[in-house]
Amino acid sequence: KFAVGKEAEDGFLSNVSEDTDEMFDDLFNKYGKVVFRSTDVKSPTAEVDDDAESLAFAVELAKVASDVKAGDIKVLFVKPLVYWTRFFIIATAFSRPQIDAIGSRMRDLAEKKYGKVANGDVKPNSWTLLDFGDVVIHLFLPPQRTFYNLEDFYGNAMQIELPFEDQSQPRN
Amino acid sequence: MIQPQTYLNVADNSGARELMCIRIIGASNRRYAHIGDVIVAVIKEAIPNTPLERSEVIRAVIVRTCKELKRNNGTIIRYDDNAAVVIDQEGNPKGTRVFGAIPRELRQLNFTKIVSLAPEVL
Repeated sequence: KFAVGKEAEDGFLSNVSEDTDEMFDDLFNKYGKVVFRSTDVKSPTAEVDDDAESLAFAVELAKVASDVKAGDIKVLFVKPLVYWTRFFIIATAFSRPQIDAIGSRMRDLAEKKYGKVANGDVKPNSWTLLDFGDVVIHLFLPPQRTFYNLEDFYGNAMQIELPFEDQSQPRN
Repeated sequence: MIQPQTYLNVADNSGARELMCIRIIGASNRRYAHIGDVIVAVIKEAIPNTPLERSEVIRAVIVRTCKELKRNNGTIIRYDDNAAVVIDQEGNPKGTRVFGAIPRELRQLNFTKIVSLAPEVL
């Protein structure tokens, strides 16, 4: 049984004059273990909704990458591992103009359809990172991809199956 | 509070071990650098047989300071050491992994690459 923030606080204030031990016993009996809980915690359903929304966004961005012929696209659900984002998209591009093309297409789509603006690199870089908040995109050139080996570092993350993946032309 | 002549530990596996700050990037005549600032540093000690060598001049991002970092919500973060991550001119880290705890302010300062290589983000 958990107390919701406001109610718990009121109980706390009205009991200040009493003996503290008794007060805590009362509170404990009344509310169970959690006496105060911060109000900005989202309900589980809202959290699942947000996850689904980010997932749709991530899959769409991965599709953009595959349209521009990026290789070895991986979408990782990293929320259980790090708190600061939900999804990673890791993709290989084979030249800087290609990185530029993928990056600008993703920015356009995100801005037009979702109204999100990316932080991160503006110029194409050997490791270009686009930070959309809940979705973080890493575009690598092949040497940098093996050098940083991000998918190994996030090896415990769940990989999302991509609907459009065509195995007919594997690039290695 | 990092200033020229300050020695810093290296928080990545780039091969450098100790740095000395020689310049803070930003305004001219800037006195101190804090977490998230880019400095020019010279490598004072390096691990043998790595790409980086002693007395090489590099750029680095400060990731930990003994001087406390204050947040708007009243939290204060203070580390035991001064540490930096070596980067190149483009902003990519020279090492492949970052060690130790990293504050989340680095993400707002566009060092998300360092954050994504770090094992723990405060």
